[in-house]
Amino acid sequence: MKIKTFAVLKEHLGEEFEMQSVVNIEQLKQALLHRNPKVAALLPSCRFAVEQAFINKETVFQGNETIYIIPPSSGG
Amino acid sequence: MKLVTSEPIDLNLLMSAAHHPEAGAVVLFSGEARNHAHGKQVQYLEYEAHETLAEIMILEIIETAKQKWDLKFVSCVHRIGKVGISEPAVCVLTASAHRKEAYTANQYIIHRVKHEVPIWKNEVFEDGTHMWGGNCSCTNPEKHEEFVE
Repeated sequence: MKIKTFAVLKEHLGEEFEMQSVVNIEQLKQALLHRNPKVAALLPSCRFAVEQAFINKETVFQGNETIYIIPPSSGG
Repeated sequence: MKLVTSEPIDLNLLMSAAHHPEAGAVVLFSGEARNHAHGKQVQYLEYEAHETLAEIMILEIIETAKQKWDLKFVSCVHRIGKVGISEPAVCVLTASAHRKEAYTANQYIIHRVKHEVPIWKNEVFEDGTHMWGGNCSCTNPEKHEEFVE
């Protein structure tokens, strides 16, 4: 699946990359931590979305979707 | 007009659309790029967004505000990309029969937009450094403010 990140996450993880063998948010978080431990403080505040809808910890990934990692908002 | 736009926000144009014969109060909030933050001089701001999700969420916030208050006009536009000092980064317009509803609804909308909508601010400083999300309550608890009607 494709992973897209924003803002400070982009600097820590890269803006867009492929990731295999993760089936839910918890596994994805572990994989992201492994990719760069600097995201540890930020990950608990992140939301996750597929296309235009937020997903939750029960969501099972299909493997061909794009997952957006949404760090805490800071608009305005 | 797009609610999330890379074009400069024209406050006069937005304001001209907000007048309504049943509205005795029109409130315009313009959140503008400040030239200082965190003890440093800010050169400019740069915003990015999950644009489709941000548009959907701003629309939902506007719809909720319309259900909560009797608004004669409501609009919210957020800029993305580079925003120069003193330029509007976000604006919220509300109009109602009396001022209390327009003020309260306006604050409700900007509060939710700042805290919920996937838009991120990058403050670029004169010294060449930058900081993402410096006003975010999620990573800085001191900045957290509850919305109180």
